[in-house]
Amino acid sequence: MTENGNPTIMLVDDEEMVLNSMKSFFAIESNYTLMTYTSPLKALEDLDRSHAHVDLVISDYLMPEMDGITFLAKVKDRLPMVPRILLTGYADKENAIKAINNVGLYQYIEKPWDNEDLRLIIRNGLEKTTLLHQLEEKIHEVERAQRELSDIQKDILRVFA
Amino acid sequence: MPKRNREQELMAQLIQSEKMASLGLLVAGVAHEINTPMGAIHSNNDIMTRAVAKIRRQLGSTPDAEVSRLLDILGEVCRNNEIATERITQIVRSLKNFARLDEAERKRVNIHEGIESTLSLLRHQLKNRIRIVKRFGDIPDVECFPNELNQVFMNILVNAAHAIKERGEITVKTWKEGEGVKIAISDTGIGIPPENLSKIFDPGFTTKGVGVGTGLGLFICYKIVQDHHGTIEAESSKQGTTFTITIPLEA
Repeated sequence: MTENGNPTIMLVDDEEMVLNSMKSFFAIESNYTLMTYTSPLKALEDLDRSHAHVDLVISDYLMPEMDGITFLAKVKDRLPMVPRILLTGYADKENAIKAINNVGLYQYIEKPWDNEDLRLIIRNGLEKTTLLHQLEEKIHEVERAQRELSDIQKDILRVFA
Repeated sequence: MPKRNREQELMAQLIQSEKMASLGLLVAGVAHEINTPMGAIHSNNDIMTRAVAKIRRQLGSTPDAEVSRLLDILGEVCRNNEIATERITQIVRSLKNFARLDEAERKRVNIHEGIESTLSLLRHQLKNRIRIVKRFGDIPDVECFPNELNQVFMNILVNAAHAIKERGEITVKTWKEGEGVKIAISDTGIGIPPENLSKIFDPGFTTKGVGVGTGLGLFICYKIVQDHHGTIEAESSKQGTTFTITIPLEA
């Protein structure tokens, strides 16, 4: 989340009209902060900067620089926990689904998309991230407790040795 | 079927498979190209509808009469846009369905779906001039190559539309008979002269004139139906023509 606690969504589509439309939709129907890119390369560059923070990534499929699946695979390398959504206007659904399984995408949305579906998918994706973060924290807590316990155990053993 | 030239037949098959491949590519490209701007328009229209509702809420219970009238018009225009975008989306869906890009393999499908998407693609050709009568029976799904059968329907329906010079009717009837499904496409067109009826499935036979018909349409239909172990027959009089296709349930 950004400083103000609003989720940040990265949106990549080589078509400005898609970016504008989604930006407008979320401007009137959500408190999300949108980072929009027509270039997947530029988006990756920004992700590599340490201060960049993103909660969810949406990418178009067919783009001149690289296809959306390649892009989202690169996002996965950098941010494995962040849900990745593919937006596709492509007719070849079977290939898209195959790729989705290979790259482990959260969802795919077909163009022309429905705003309400889009909103729901994003909301669920963000919820998933929150839950994963919570789970991660719990795991850390358990690990910490376990370490403390084993330290105590060692102390006890030392006392009786 | 009369004996036909083997070389001519191979050539026609080659042209056919190349045509199908390029049709598939074309459809994939067109669908992608249209769906992106369509997506934006569809979404923008939804945003405008939402914005109008929000403005109404902001204005409260006693809005200015002129503002209220303008908002009504905006709302109406948005609804109209919604219908228009839905129409385009439907056409693209029919195109995708017709080419069945993701179904180049043998599949068990409902024949009616293929007929419907073919008819919706022909809509502009038939509109106002030709009435379509659908008499769909209760038929089981058929194992087939859906994109190929769609091409058969397309070829026959286009021929039927050409045969009807002014106004007329095309009837598409389906029913189950024995272990097969039958599809009959009848038109109220000018009919095929008896001397030509035996030649219509021959490759290269056309009455449409050089540069208009390839003379391959019905030959391709014949080949596709034959590949499905089915039959295709034509009956014709001066009152019109009926093509009857039989496709076995298990090919």
